[in-house]
Amino acid sequence: MIEHAFLIPLLPLAASFLILFGGPERKDSPLPYAGIAAIGLSLWISLRILFDAWSGALPLPYEADWSWFSFAAELRGRPFIFDMRAGVLIEGATAVMLAVVCLVSLLVQVYSLGYMHGDAKFKRYYAYLSFFTASMLGLVVSNNLLVTFACWELVGVSSYLLIGFWFEKTAPPYAAKKAFITTKLGDLGFFLALLTIFAYGGTFNIVRLRDAVAMGYLPELVLTLIGLGLLAGAMGKSAQWPLFIWLPDAMEGPTPVSALIHAATMVAAGIYLVARCYFIFAASQVAMDAVAWTGLITAFLAGTMALVPYDIKRVLAFSTVSQLGFMMCALGVGGYAAGLFHLTTHAFFKALLFLGAGSVIHAVHTNDMRQMGGLSKRMPVTFMTMTVGSLALAGIPPLAGFFSKDQILEKVFERSPFMFAVLALTACLTAFYTFRMVFLTFRGEERDTERFRHAEESGGVMTVPLVILAVLSVCSGWALEHAHAFARLVGSGPGLLPGAAGEAAHHIDPMVMATGVTGAAFLAIGLAYRLYCTPDLSAALAWKERLSLPFKVLEDRYGFDAFFLGLVDAADRLAGLCRWVDAEVVDRIFVDGWGLLCRIAAELSNLFDALFVDQAVDGCGYISRDVVGANLRWFSLRGRVQEYLLYLAVGVSLFSILR
Amino acid sequence: MTLAHYLFLGSALFIVGIFGALTRRNVIGILMSVELMFNAANINLAAFNRFLAPAGVTGQAVALFIMTVAAAEVVVGLALVLMIYRARDTVYAEDINILRG
Repeated sequence: MIEHAFLIPLLPLAASFLILFGGPERKDSPLPYAGIAAIGLSLWISLRILFDAWSGALPLPYEADWSWFSFAAELRGRPFIFDMRAGVLIEGATAVMLAVVCLVSLLVQVYSLGYMHGDAKFKRYYAYLSFFTASMLGLVVSNNLLVTFACWELVGVSSYLLIGFWFEKTAPPYAAKKAFITTKLGDLGFFLALLTIFAYGGTFNIVRLRDAVAMGYLPELVLTLIGLGLLAGAMGKSAQWPLFIWLPDAMEGPTPVSALIHAATMVAAGIYLVARCYFIFAASQVAMDAVAWTGLITAFLAGTMALVPYDIKRVLAFSTVSQLGFMMCALGVGGYAAGLFHLTTHAFFKALLFLGAGSVIHAVHTNDMRQMGGLSKRMPVTFMTMTVGSLALAGIPPLAGFFSKDQILEKVFERSPFMFAVLALTACLTAFYTFRMVFLTFRGEERDTERFRHAEESGGVMTVPLVILAVLSVCSGWALEHAHAFARLVGSGPGLLPGAAGEAAHHIDPMVMATGVTGAAFLAIGLAYRLYCTPDLSAALAWKERLSLPFKVLEDRYGFDAFFLGLVDAADRLAGLCRWVDAEVVDRIFVDGWGLLCRIAAELSNLFDALFVDQAVDGCGYISRDVVGANLRWFSLRGRVQEYLLYLAVGVSLFSILR
Repeated sequence: MTLAHYLFLGSALFIVGIFGALTRRNVIGILMSVELMFNAANINLAAFNRFLAPAGVTGQAVALFIMTVAAAEVVVGLALVLMIYRARDTVYAEDINILRG
């Protein structure tokens, strides 16, 4: 099975082209099912690989590659052929990621059958979805960082296409551009890191690069720079501070796409990249600290920002950013397995929450939670599954989120109690805003009777994926935690010496910590219940009144959007200034002035030509024709033969004398 | 009698011929002067043959050729003169200027 690993990204890729070019856009077009079939096949291969790896039948890592292209190069005066190879590298983390991406993608595609039903661009939507998944899978399996980078960019392109899918509206194209350009800012760092890697490591192959780092061929400063560059790329893709501004706007895409972006594809890419290149980070304490602090700041800021919005998808978006911060922080403090574990469980419950939110939006046709309320009566399945997802996100045992968050907190505490305190606080905030969302949406009285009356439970294609994801959200935590199965599968992180970076400076009893954090989470849920599970929102609004300044700051997202907008504005002004200098100074003085100078010189030259050269030419003609010629004519052409003979005689005599 | 004497005689005869050809108005006189120049050349040929290559007769043979050609030329020339006289009623060279450009 493992030898078919290269098919995993290629099948959805082929499907996307088949869907896009295979036939016209029709209501009953069968082509979208090709996408579902392709991703289903990929999922089957991935699961086989995962179970083989799990049971130990398959030794990991597995690597297979093929020659991509080659070129002549020269090293220290010695010419050689550089063979660029591309292929697959399956590690424990890769196997898990493949299964997660394929599974979530499959469920999203099935769900979209219901959600996007009747959309005018149904077929194109499926082509984009398949392409998105294919790019992400390529990124995950590739053993060549150059291919990874190419897929990374393709992920960006497909997210652009999907966020701006309803491009006939106003907001989506804007959001798509914002996402694309913001992530590009980070990709610049990734690209520079790649150049540095090739300059110092001489290879893009991950395994060979790991060997090179292990042998100490790369100086630590270079490794730090590479690590920071990769982190910049991850910041953009995984929406880390300060480049997280694009993710809340990415909500403008269809909701299943948001689920895909937030759970499996787009944002997981950054975390995965850091995990894949963990050996680089592990070799540089500075890079590790940068990762940890980036994650910490992101987790906290996004966690607070999620407290205030009334847009259901926006709450979830900030929550994703916050959880990605948790993963980053875990990776940064040496919790390789913990970070990836949270990535896995988060994929399940975040996809569940998004698909559930999509189900709600599909029913009530609005994102605004103030117009929802009491929907649990109308949509029991959605309510139940979303509650499960919310409990998992809030970290309530024994759901998935509890185990992974617990591992992260444990790892972080070993490193620094301060970071632990911030993350624990963020975990409480998570519980609060998650249940704020649940209560606002499903409990209390209906606030918009018109919408409430029309709300209906979604059909089977939409609820079945919800139920599957809910089951996974319940089970995946303890199943993977059981006997440290997950940690055994992914290892403790390549390149990380056991106990080197994870040198536990502080210890805490896991039971005490878990009890404390869970108790705090329950308190937060209780607070959310008090404030939001009421017929009207008077208590919450009173709080908002009292704390208007912090609310304002949070609603402005700490001014980061304004900051980046100002940055763009400043760049725009700078460009305007440059244009002005170009048009008014360079063009006017240098270009036009030079032209004028040339024209003056040309006029002078023309004058000189007319006055002197032409006159000289005419003069030559005049002299030879009218002066010399006329006189010679009189002199020679009188028809007197004897004169001619005389000239001849005199001439010959002269020649003979002068000889 | 050395070669120089003969050459001197040839030159004198040639100059007389030239002088005649340049000064005579009558075309027949010009023709006679041209004959003198031919003969100056003949004297040179015979003299060179006699003094420089006495064994052969090349120079004398060429001289004989020239005499023959000169005789033919005179025939043609006199015929032309006769025809011009009939057409224009004159044999003075300055009057015969129809080739004037």
